[in-house]
Amino acid sequence: MLLWGKVQATVLDTMRDNGPGGVTLDVVQHTGFGGIKCVEAGGPEPGVGCAGRGVITAIKLLEELGAYNEDFDFVFYDVLGDVVCGGFAMPIREGYAKEIYIVASGELMALYAANNICKGIVKFAENGDARLGGIICNSRNVDNELELLTEFSKKIGSHLIQFVPRDNMVQRAEINRKTVIDFEPTCKQAEVYRSLAKNIIENTNFVIPKPMAMQELEDMMVEFGIVER
Amino acid sequence: MTTILPECDIPIPQRQPHIVCHNPENIVLPMCNVQTVPGDMTERGCTFAGCRGVVGGPVKDAIQLVHGPIGCAYYTWGTRRNLSDTKLHRKYCFSTDLTEESVIYGGAKKLYNSIIESHELFPEGKAVFVYSTCVVGLIGDDTEAICKQASEKIGIPVIAFHCEGFRGVSQSLGHHIANRTLFEKVVGTAEPQESTPYDMCIVGEFNIDGDAWIVKPLFERMGVRVLSVFTGNASYNDIPPMHRAKLNIVQCQRSSTYIAKMIQDKYGVPYINVSLFGMKQTADALRDVGKFFHLEENAEKVIAEELAKYQPKIDNYRKKLDGKKCFIYQGAPRAWHWMGPMRELGIETILTATTFGHKDDYEKIMEKANPGHICIDNPNALEIEEYLVKLKPDFFIGGLKEKYLTYKLGIPFINGHSYEEGPYAGFEGFVNFARDIDVAVNSPVWKFINKPLEVS
Repeated sequence: MLLWGKVQATVLDTMRDNGPGGVTLDVVQHTGFGGIKCVEAGGPEPGVGCAGRGVITAIKLLEELGAYNEDFDFVFYDVLGDVVCGGFAMPIREGYAKEIYIVASGELMALYAANNICKGIVKFAENGDARLGGIICNSRNVDNELELLTEFSKKIGSHLIQFVPRDNMVQRAEINRKTVIDFEPTCKQAEVYRSLAKNIIENTNFVIPKPMAMQELEDMMVEFGIVER
Repeated sequence: MTTILPECDIPIPQRQPHIVCHNPENIVLPMCNVQTVPGDMTERGCTFAGCRGVVGGPVKDAIQLVHGPIGCAYYTWGTRRNLSDTKLHRKYCFSTDLTEESVIYGGAKKLYNSIIESHELFPEGKAVFVYSTCVVGLIGDDTEAICKQASEKIGIPVIAFHCEGFRGVSQSLGHHIANRTLFEKVVGTAEPQESTPYDMCIVGEFNIDGDAWIVKPLFERMGVRVLSVFTGNASYNDIPPMHRAKLNIVQCQRSSTYIAKMIQDKYGVPYINVSLFGMKQTADALRDVGKFFHLEENAEKVIAEELAKYQPKIDNYRKKLDGKKCFIYQGAPRAWHWMGPMRELGIETILTATTFGHKDDYEKIMEKANPGHICIDNPNALEIEEYLVKLKPDFFIGGLKEKYLTYKLGIPFINGHSYEEGPYAGFEGFVNFARDIDVAVNSPVWKFINKPLEVS
């Protein structure tokens, strides 16, 4: 979306086609909306090879290419919704990411995955400086969602840094291959994202999370899921 | 005390149950076939090594393709002297040469291309054996599907062995996997060109330094037709008709009883255990086979001819070796295969050890052991050194890994894994064995060592 729908050559696709020597920054790195430099790691075709190793290789390669040499305000990694193996923990474990924000919603599976990511953070926090900066609720419009996410964030020792309501504006922006702020800068949803950005910039709440036990998580779901009518 | 903790193992007391001093009044077997504990520098290999190196590797006209990084191929190539009479076997090394990129994108394409390419370069290969190494197990290449696809393309069998190195506690699981794979995918896929009532397979005979070339003719002279040797100097085409044997005899009872048992269960072919080492054991094996096929007289005739030819030589070596004491450390079965033959030379085995023995191997050792015999499961180099110094055997039959340690301690050494100048099996081979022991033990070189033994 940041590149207005342009199909970007991923690091791993380029490496597959050209060999590791054939990957250069001008091939894989493109500047999009707001001067944001975008790189897509990519991965093997589904069901084949090891995507985790791909993440490790892609990040190491970017480092070798000097992708981090520029004076960036922020570097973001958009990582899979669960830490499924060592490779996907790479941005957490080798000191690349300092702050981790987990996107979740009020559904059990989303919270389960968020809780799992916390387990990964705990594991690597001992040897590194990656800390949980907060939970972002990407609302699915389930009952008591704000309360549930606030409670979940508190239970794992963190805080809810932004509640992002569900808004069809996101869908409309995507169809137009733009981010919401780019597509409709004055809309309500754009304001929410600005608030998220501000909260992240001003954030001082960085913790090693305390993941919940499965039973505890389920009990909490029951408590918040039962709505009196 | 039946189990012992040597001094070198004081920091790892978990080793104690693995080291036993034999007491016939209270027989205790060493703990075995379990994971090695941290701190114990085991000499064990891996499942891939057992599968590719021991059982699959000797098949002389199969392209032995290692699906993994190049090191897995190089370090398992040509190290075992399972000889053969083809130009393909042990001369070339085949690998898919997996690299970082293959790990990320999967090794499927490389594997497929390697199979096609190796077949094009070596069309004399009757089959392709594909061995999965550790990394293949992690990235989950669908080797079965690729092998099937490649087989359809090149028109010869392509067999996938799922022998990832990290599986199991030692190379022993690799033997089992190789047996099961060959049984399930190969045995029974073709009928023998002809059948006779005297068809037999020699199972678990890997033709180390030519052993099979010594023992096979003994049975043939009796009137037995050897349908296949599993897998020493075997052609791929020898394996499919194994199910039509009337009898299987099993020499290496650790690595190959599996397939004999599977053939028995599915096809009703009985098997008997044999030891084709030493005069008496070899004669016993011939007699057992003679009895089964009602060829007793033929067996006696062959035995008499062999004894007439070789017994005087053995008697001569016995004069030079009588009263000596030895250690035997082997993978597993040869430790007990050789205890009896050593006595024929007047030699007592005072310590045995095996790298990957199971309970039945240790039972067979204890059946043959004298009181006070030391038996070690999965020994490390420090234990071996301590016992060499403590018990001062006249010689040590081990593997190459132990050779120079033993020499440095001033003790004669015989390479039992791939032999000094074999073959060592059968009557004739036993003369070679006795000669090599004589050469080692009675070499004048040992007179020049005057430093007392001590643990370094």
